[in-house]
Amino acid sequence: MAKWDYDGPILEIENLSISFFTRAGEIPAVMDFSTTVMPGEAMGLVGESGCGKSTVALGVMQDLGKNGEIVGGTIKFKGRNLNEMSEEELRDLRGSEIAMIYQEPMASLNPAMRIGQQLMEVPIIHEGVSKAVAREMAIEVVTDVKLPDPERILDSYPHQLSGGQQQRIVIAMALMSKPSLLILDEPTTALDVTVEAGIVDLVKGLGEKYGTSMLFISHNLGLVLDTCDRLCVMYSGEAVETGSIEDVFDKMRHPYTQALFRSIPLPGADKNAAPLVAIPGNFPLPHERPSGCNFGPRCDYFEKGRCNKGQIMMDPVEGGGRDRHESRCLKVREIDWKAPLVAGDNSARTEPGKVVLKVDNLKKYYEVAANAIFGGGDVRVVKANETLSFEARESETLAIVGESGCGKSTLAKVLMGLETATDGTVTLNGDNIENLPIEGRDTKTVSSIQMVFQNPFDTLNPSMTVGSQIIRALEIFKVGNTPADRRQRMLELLDLVKLPRAFADRMPRQLSGGQKQRVGIARAFAGSAQIVVADEPVSALDVSVQAAVTDLLMEIQRENKTTLLFISHDLSIVRYLADRVMVMYLGHVVEMGTTEEVFSPPYHPYTEALLSAVPIADTSVQKKRIVLDGDIPSAMNPPSGCPFQTRCNHKVNVPNNLCETEVPPMRDLAGSQQIKCHLAQNWLDQMEPVIKIAAE
Amino acid sequence: MEPLSSLQILGHVLQQFLPVWVGMLVIFALSIMTKTKTGLYGKLFDSPIGMAGFALVLFWVLTAIFAESIMTHAALETASGMKFKAPGTPLRGAEAGDFQWYLFGGDNLARDVFSRMVAGSQIVLIIAPTATLFAFMVGITLGLPAGYFGGRTDTVLSFLANLVLAFPVILLFYLLVTPEIRAAGTEIQIWGGKTWVTSIPNLLAAILFLFPIVFLLILFQSRFFTQPKLRNILVIGVLLLGAWMYSGLTFNADPLGILGMDPNLLNIFVSVVFVNSPTVYRIVRGLAMDIQTRDYVAAAQTRGEGPWYIMLWEILPNARGPLIVDFCLRIGYTTILLGTLGFFGLGLSPESPDWGSTINEGRKLLSLTPYPALIPALALMSMVLGLNLLADGLREQSLKD
Repeated sequence: MAKWDYDGPILEIENLSISFFTRAGEIPAVMDFSTTVMPGEAMGLVGESGCGKSTVALGVMQDLGKNGEIVGGTIKFKGRNLNEMSEEELRDLRGSEIAMIYQEPMASLNPAMRIGQQLMEVPIIHEGVSKAVAREMAIEVVTDVKLPDPERILDSYPHQLSGGQQQRIVIAMALMSKPSLLILDEPTTALDVTVEAGIVDLVKGLGEKYGTSMLFISHNLGLVLDTCDRLCVMYSGEAVETGSIEDVFDKMRHPYTQALFRSIPLPGADKNAAPLVAIPGNFPLPHERPSGCNFGPRCDYFEKGRCNKGQIMMDPVEGGGRDRHESRCLKVREIDWKAPLVAGDNSARTEPGKVVLKVDNLKKYYEVAANAIFGGGDVRVVKANETLSFEARESETLAIVGESGCGKSTLAKVLMGLETATDGTVTLNGDNIENLPIEGRDTKTVSSIQMVFQNPFDTLNPSMTVGSQIIRALEIFKVGNTPADRRQRMLELLDLVKLPRAFADRMPRQLSGGQKQRVGIARAFAGSAQIVVADEPVSALDVSVQAAVTDLLMEIQRENKTTLLFISHDLSIVRYLADRVMVMYLGHVVEMGTTEEVFSPPYHPYTEALLSAVPIADTSVQKKRIVLDGDIPSAMNPPSGCPFQTRCNHKVNVPNNLCETEVPPMRDLAGSQQIKCHLAQNWLDQMEPVIKIAAE
Repeated sequence: MEPLSSLQILGHVLQQFLPVWVGMLVIFALSIMTKTKTGLYGKLFDSPIGMAGFALVLFWVLTAIFAESIMTHAALETASGMKFKAPGTPLRGAEAGDFQWYLFGGDNLARDVFSRMVAGSQIVLIIAPTATLFAFMVGITLGLPAGYFGGRTDTVLSFLANLVLAFPVILLFYLLVTPEIRAAGTEIQIWGGKTWVTSIPNLLAAILFLFPIVFLLILFQSRFFTQPKLRNILVIGVLLLGAWMYSGLTFNADPLGILGMDPNLLNIFVSVVFVNSPTVYRIVRGLAMDIQTRDYVAAAQTRGEGPWYIMLWEILPNARGPLIVDFCLRIGYTTILLGTLGFFGLGLSPESPDWGSTINEGRKLLSLTPYPALIPALALMSMVLGLNLLADGLREQSLKD
């Protein structure tokens, strides 16, 4: 199909409304949504889950399934109304003029076809070129997405590539037809931070090189800041604010945008002096939206009789922005947008107490037999944890930072007793527990070290009521003597995590993600746990809920003097709440120290890259851009010498090829900081801060 | 008296089934009224396929319950001159209180086809679901540890399951019901002056019937060991009830003389359970492997729960969706299997009114009249169809959650 030239906007959406029709009736998913994407422009769509951002993308693709229907408004692509196109015209358009990239790369690739074939298909179908030409094009695109050895990649099957490489191939496939519009639906959510940084860089570069317009859907404001020119904030099916990145980030004119920014941990937030402000209440369900402003019930500026009356329209912001800055708020002129945040309850910093947990030279190796059924064959050793040593004190938060495969989950398993250590010691309150599996531990030991899990939708047994799950934990921990005692204690635990007592009789499916996570916390504290291992407890939650759950954890910790081992890959939240930080890579602790020490130079080269990779939603922050090559090596087959040497930018600065031959020793730097690196002191001293906050 | 016309037959049949219609009406009305509160069962009434399946199954369940009042004659009652008579033939020499016609005609021994079909539903609806339930108990009790522990347990159990699955089913049945095999074994004197033969089918029954008792004991012990009082009541209850039923079903020597099992029936029952349980085992094993990776299982492990609590209370309830669907389908298969066995003459005694046997009896004289074979065949088909539709409906609805 010939591509037609068009000078106007690539995509014009006007007053779009999309509804899904179910047996329960019509459920509006998107209401009165308008936006314009100019050629070469990158538009960000930001919002929490369920706000309708993906539905807009599917609407543009005209792929709403049999339940979805566009009930109002128009979508114009290069001036032509997509709603009026025939199925055939649309098929021509998809994949050639508009391409879409989804969250899960493996789901977009055909596992039974070689990468090359899949890429070549696109020009063969849409442009009718010969196989040889198509292959040329494929090699070119694969080179463009910065994959090494394109020939080999083209001949491999999807499962032979890592997640990051797969996502690059998906992007390459989208670029094969040189589309005018690229829709990216959370393209990096499934990837690790350092891999994500590479993809983001790639997407930005390609936008500039190919002049493609982009619709970038994300829940991560920092990522949108890194990739987009303009953004549109959505809430509960409506766009609430739209404008250029600078306008929306610095001169926000909608209470929801403001609340959103106040609930994410930006540099400068501090758990004691400047705590995060969570947005009260819950996201309304599509069939329970309030009348008037959807954000009304959760808004600080809510005015009864005005905000809840009638439909509120998008209006241009006066004076606020130059570039099509619009907001859907009646009181936009009345609110004093510069008013400083009324400080929440400041709390005194709690001093860490005695050492509760001491881990010394802990090693955990797994033996993987080549032939699992009959045994025998080669036995390979996976070194999941390699000589870990650290201490954790009472009421201290120790953050364990690392990407997938770094061994943090194995460490948690050894601490919990689900695995026993291969070597080294773990001391809890003076008792050695490294070789005590959970069956061998007494009730007190088990109840004093508990865990909060990552996935809120998985953490509770779906077939038991919330109350009975907490009561079960109490029974096992021998708390209370009679069922009535335990029920009382269970209700108190619900109070502790700020859930209504009526939730005791609810089933988990009736709870939102944040509420489930609170129940998980209540369950962990059922036996008055001394140490709580929190494995990414908020990473699967929506931004506005994250702050509330984090604050809850901090508050309980403060009251109970709990030691919190906070496992996370999100450095923003780690900086906000941790007292000390431990950075792990491929089973090794590569850096350890107090939060200030780890977040300021000198850094371990991996910490430096990690800091640079984390997107920060603040326009005043300037980051040094360090993008790592390649992917995290497999723990089955670790590199020789320093585990990080395959991706390290500083390797050239170490003489004698030391990095490739020898594992560096743990070195003490100033203060309590320790790093595992061969770099000489003078190189460390030269390091500059990765994150600089520009003077205002 | 004149023979009935087709329409009149229909009218009479509908009238005979009156208690069933009333029952269905009441159950449907109640279910639809409360459908928002009853979970998966309630959602069944959102799906036309599920409702149709449920209606068919309910029809046969209610028929079995009200069989006594639906049947126009006794299942074994013969009447002179009614051999191979067409549907609607008036009963010769009927007395005033008797039903005046053979609604679906008479069979080769001049018995009423309609009444035998109704009586057959009772047998089918008792054996098929119970046998399936036993197969599930066995499959679950072995499948959960295989999936949960993996490793050697899994290897051994899966090998045994494959062994059973690899053996031709019909051949297995022939072996199990052969008189020589049934008699082989020593006779043991048991209580009440009764004897028990250690034949292969009897031994199998002794093993397979233990599973439900073991299953329930572990189920209660693993959960309620924290509340000894409640646990003791439950465990003693299970033991007493289990011992009573076990002595009745396995040894045909119920001390109270209430329960008992015909040796023919026991054979069939054991065979059906034996061939069904490996398939259930595989399903449960797969589900256990999948569900044990969930965080709530890890949460239970980290608070020190025992493996059986995790298997029976954390994993099993959350595998219920696929298991319920399979249960419905499997009752259907079992019904067909029972029919097939009856057809081969391996089933119950020849005069039994169960559908498989009656089809077999009717088949031999098909050229004279089709009705004695056709009517139970239609009954069998409609019930299995109902179960399959019900399973489809359940699957469709459980995926939506």
